[in-house]
Amino acid sequence: MAVMTPVPEAPAGSRTPAPEAPAGFSATRALAWARWLPVIAVAAYVTIPLLCSIAYAVLPGGTFSLDAYSVLGSDAKLTNAIVRTLLITAVTIVVLIAALVPAVVAVHLWAPRLRTVLEVLCTLPLVVPPIALAAGVVAMLRWGAQQGRGTTPNAISQFLQSPDLPLILVGTYVVLCLPFTFRSIDAGLRTIPLKAIVEGSQILGAGVWGTVWRVVLPNMRGSMLFSVFFATALCFGEFTVAATLNQQTVPVWLFTVSSTDFRASIAIAVLLNLITWALMLIATLSAAREARHRD
Amino acid sequence: MTAKSNSVVYDGVSKAFGTHTVLDNLSLELAPGELITVLGPSGCGKTTALRILAGFERPTAGRVLIAGRDVTNLAPNKRGIGMVFQAYSLFPNLTVIDNVEYGLRIRRLTRTERRRRAGELLEMCGLAAFADRFPHQLSGGQQQRVALARALAVEPSVLLLDEPLSALDATVRTQIRDEIQRLQQELGITTMFVTHDQAEALAIADRVAVLNTGVIEQLDAPEVVYQRPASEFVARFVGSVTELTIDGKRTFIRPEDLTLEPDEAGEYTVTGQSYTGERTIIRATGTSGAADGTELISSAFLSQAQALPPGTRVSWQLTGTPAFVTETAAA
Repeated sequence: MAVMTPVPEAPAGSRTPAPEAPAGFSATRALAWARWLPVIAVAAYVTIPLLCSIAYAVLPGGTFSLDAYSVLGSDAKLTNAIVRTLLITAVTIVVLIAALVPAVVAVHLWAPRLRTVLEVLCTLPLVVPPIALAAGVVAMLRWGAQQGRGTTPNAISQFLQSPDLPLILVGTYVVLCLPFTFRSIDAGLRTIPLKAIVEGSQILGAGVWGTVWRVVLPNMRGSMLFSVFFATALCFGEFTVAATLNQQTVPVWLFTVSSTDFRASIAIAVLLNLITWALMLIATLSAAREARHRD
Repeated sequence: MTAKSNSVVYDGVSKAFGTHTVLDNLSLELAPGELITVLGPSGCGKTTALRILAGFERPTAGRVLIAGRDVTNLAPNKRGIGMVFQAYSLFPNLTVIDNVEYGLRIRRLTRTERRRRAGELLEMCGLAAFADRFPHQLSGGQQQRVALARALAVEPSVLLLDEPLSALDATVRTQIRDEIQRLQQELGITTMFVTHDQAEALAIADRVAVLNTGVIEQLDAPEVVYQRPASEFVARFVGSVTELTIDGKRTFIRPEDLTLEPDEAGEYTVTGQSYTGERTIIRATGTSGAADGTELISSAFLSQAQALPPGTRVSWQLTGTPAFVTETAAA
């Protein structure tokens, strides 16, 4: 109550000449506006380029047209790139979830001290620039290729770079996903009373895998969903490694085509951008809903 | 609903974590259908003893037998035990009825059989109306009832309760405690109940095992543990007690065996009273001579207590048998 009462010993007129309203009033109002400034600035920074891109893509010469999107049907290279990228995405997600989830669950349950080790390992890719990663991968593959036809390293190098499903990209993308997906899964596991749930399930007769499948995984759906969408966004957005390894993924196609059909490249980029945003939004919302569910 | 009555035997069980001994050659036998509470301060090894029976810990030495069968090296999911944990062990992604059915599903019972049994148990625990709710929609007391129903659904050979009431508030605690006792008696299931709350332990048990630093100090019926504690530790840990030196021996007296009387020349002064309903607890402190600093705890009927307001000088009188007297003279 006392806070809201105007302070009597500092009359409005004493410092500012503004007569009608108390001095503090307009100041608070200005402050309220100032508070929104960073938000507005960020929103503008994010949306203006996107809006311009959309305008450029669908309003050629000022009239609405979806002509730029005709490449979706006509360019076989784009279709191939999309199929290839989808395939890479699917395998990346499977490998990522299959490797990371059991590891994090196991560490939480049986080796809490190793959690820090796992965290540091998973965070490492964050401090390695993608180009350094790419250079390392290239050096390794080249060494394999240089061992000569018919040798095992050569065969492995060829296999990893197979244009239909370049497993080398899958491996790289899994590593690049680790820092964020580890955090998400780790946090997801912390919000559930994992030990109590697992012991409760075991004493009722379930084995380890049954327990993980029936009660652990269903309780971390939110963080797994986030991992899936994050991996998708990364696979559809990563350029450096794919280009360096000369793999025709969607971002590489975008770059190539931008020199011949700029409008098409922007049109497809906008589409990808919106799809990624939609996926992230779904992930965030579903995670939030689940968190509410648990309180 | 029937339950099997099985015996449980701890045969010289020891457990050490590194160099720290938690249980030291523990031997304990639960008769079929018996409810034993294991009582002790935190860190006394009671939870470890329970977890060894459940199979979550492996003893360093000794054996555990259920119904005469050695289960020491059996995995927890093969023991057929029902267990209620301290809190929050319900599966948050499953409804109440699905939680109760969980163990039956693992045992591959048909859906109709599962529903029938789970329904029956929810009925018994007074939760039939909540079958389709999720755990987070229930109060703590209701959640523990579901946990109890879930544990009993698999018709376990033994029921283990690991401080199941400690996360609940006082009224609910008594309610659920009585309910556990009723179900246990109805089903005749051998039960081990671990708690640090002595009132809880005495109220519910057939026998109480008082555990201190990994050793059973006393194993007796609740009234024996209270009235005739076997050691200083038990005398102090279970119930309130006044410690006096009488004839050179350390003597432990229960409040109802100690009467305070107004006495101008008394060495004690009443410091406070707490009204507990039937009886009133009166506390007095020695203020002069040899009695200086000694605490007296007496219980009296309200009418007697009203004659002893705080500040009254009093002397004490032994009106019953002391609970425990040390063998040797006090130092």
